[in-house]
Amino acid sequence: MSDKQSQVQAQVRVNFYSFFKELTGCPGCSQSIAPGSTMANLIQLLTERFPKLGPMHKSMLTAVGVEYQDRGYVLRDGDEVSLFPPVQGG
Amino acid sequence: MRPKMNRQLTFTTEPINEAVLVAQRKLTGGMGAVVYFTGVVRGNEGGTGISALEYESFQKMAEHQFGLLFDEIEKQWPVESVRLVHRLGLVNVNEASLWVEVVAPHRGEAFAACQWLIDRMKEVVPIWKKPHCV
Repeated sequence: MSDKQSQVQAQVRVNFYSFFKELTGCPGCSQSIAPGSTMANLIQLLTERFPKLGPMHKSMLTAVGVEYQDRGYVLRDGDEVSLFPPVQGG
Repeated sequence: MRPKMNRQLTFTTEPINEAVLVAQRKLTGGMGAVVYFTGVVRGNEGGTGISALEYESFQKMAEHQFGLLFDEIEKQWPVESVRLVHRLGLVNVNEASLWVEVVAPHRGEAFAACQWLIDRMKEVVPIWKKPHCV
């Protein structure tokens, strides 16, 4: 087992909004990630788990808590991540 | 030093009562401009006839992001107050989905701040709409 695999996995909570709920079939999920994983790593894992998210990955917006975070954001255990399509208020 | 900008943000599933909102307007003697905007659901979306839009929000983040936009307005313009009401849930065609009011000393900053707020809202506030077809 590699050093990375032997490290304790972190867990993040992922919430889906708008039609992402239909694409994934759920309002949200938990996802295990390797320590030091970025938002991009998480999206890769989620796209493998929910293939219909794949075409949305370029336009997808990503937030942790109530703040936008970019693909390079390093996730921490317990982070609450939200993924959603471009917004449409008004 | 300017007094802090008054701000009011409301999410509601009830119809927006514009007359009541106008009647509740507050402004001090130095204010000379009130700009208000009503966004209304159009009868078509992407060329297709619709009967309504259904609005969904990540409300906690929407409140936070609106707060950041209000902070920016306060930095950029001498606005005395901003009030914004956004519908959630089902909104029928011809009904108001959004109401925004900006009170400022002069029309230049009132128009500018109101336009800026709506433009930025459409870029960053997590609200989405789902059309219901005729």
